Amino acid sequence: MTALPHVLVAEDNELVSGAMRVLFEETGHRVSIAPSIAEAVQVASTDAVDLLLLDLGLVDGDGLAVLSQLRALDALPRIAVALTGRDEPEVVARCRAMGCHDVLLKPVPARELLRMAREWLAR
Amino acid sequence: MHRLDEPVTPLMQSTTPDVRVAMLEAQLRQAHDHIAELEASDGVKAQSLANISHDLRTPLTAVITHAEILRDGILGPLTPRQLESVGGIINGGRQLLGQVGEILTYARGAANQLTVVPSQFDLSAVVTQICALNESLASRKGVALVSDVPVDLEHVTADREKIAHVLGNLLGNAIDFTPAGGRVWITARFVAASANRECLVEVGDTGIGIDPEHHELVFREFAQVDSSASRPHHGTGLGLTIARKLVELHGGRIWLESGLGEGSRFFFTIPDVTC
Repeated sequence: MTALPHVLVAEDNELVSGAMRVLFEETGHRVSIAPSIAEAVQVASTDAVDLLLLDLGLVDGDGLAVLSQLRALDALPRIAVALTGRDEPEVVARCRAMGCHDVLLKPVPARELLRMAREWLAR
Repeated sequence: MHRLDEPVTPLMQSTTPDVRVAMLEAQLRQAHDHIAELEASDGVKAQSLANISHDLRTPLTAVITHAEILRDGILGPLTPRQLESVGGIINGGRQLLGQVGEILTYARGAANQLTVVPSQFDLSAVVTQICALNESLASRKGVALVSDVPVDLEHVTADREKIAHVLGNLLGNAIDFTPAGGRVWITARFVAASANRECLVEVGDTGIGIDPEHHELVFREFAQVDSSASRPHHGTGLGLTIARKLVELHGGRIWLESGLGEGSRFFFTIPDVTC
């Protein structure tokens, strides 16, 4: 049996991460949730992540720090996508510069997010 | 504090010119300080409003995503009535999200946090897209929606999303305030301006119109000519304030021509920065 793709949802709001868990677990993914930079780094450095869905405001600081810390540990996820509430050009540019594959404004329609996730993971 | 518009007091009259100048300068400094305090307080309020509206998006995101999971059958098939009900949650949630987004844009504008990211783009394509988005709303109301923008209109250089936002707000209002059987239109063309050329866009309607004495009021934040709780037209009351802010960020102008019962014609300009 093929291992299920591992999706890490780095999100400080339980309501939102709960919805992501249902969406991805019910469609053939293994889901981990991390509300903080520290927990996201801990999960991704011990259990390789295929898709990181990254909120920019985590409980202990700027979500993009997850990527810089994982880069230092050589444990970057295959694909990192920022899911944010802010789409100002400077925010988008900062996410891209830190290695985000895409920057999406919440809420992304569930169907659309699944379609994109399948495309990213098929690479 | 002595107000600047108050008459000069007898005390001031009895002093030498040098002393009077010094007193006036002191008053001027006080007035400047007071203005700075008010501006700072306004900035804090705008920032709080931006933070609050941003935070409102988070629980809405969860509500909408859960409802979409149900609608898309990810947890199993729904009956037609269940689908209808879940569709209502999604539509209501998205409508609320749009209104929260308007408040957020307004607050960012008030806090001077909006920036223009210009690109060259095809305005006729944007108009077609905005018309398509509003077509079902117009047809449900029995309002005809027509656009008269030449497909070969030269490209404009502006922030595409922000111009689309202005068009969306003007068109939404035009449809909202036009009764069944009426007509709403969009036109755009380049015209000569004082120093340069500019693109002149018009969003017009045959709706209820606006009394000239209210023409300035409609661009003020949270303003509707009828602001009573029972008013027939709802919304944040920010659509035109935002439209004006976004047009002015581009260096353009926005205005209207209208009279009660005569429909309304809103105009805005996008300066041609390529000349």
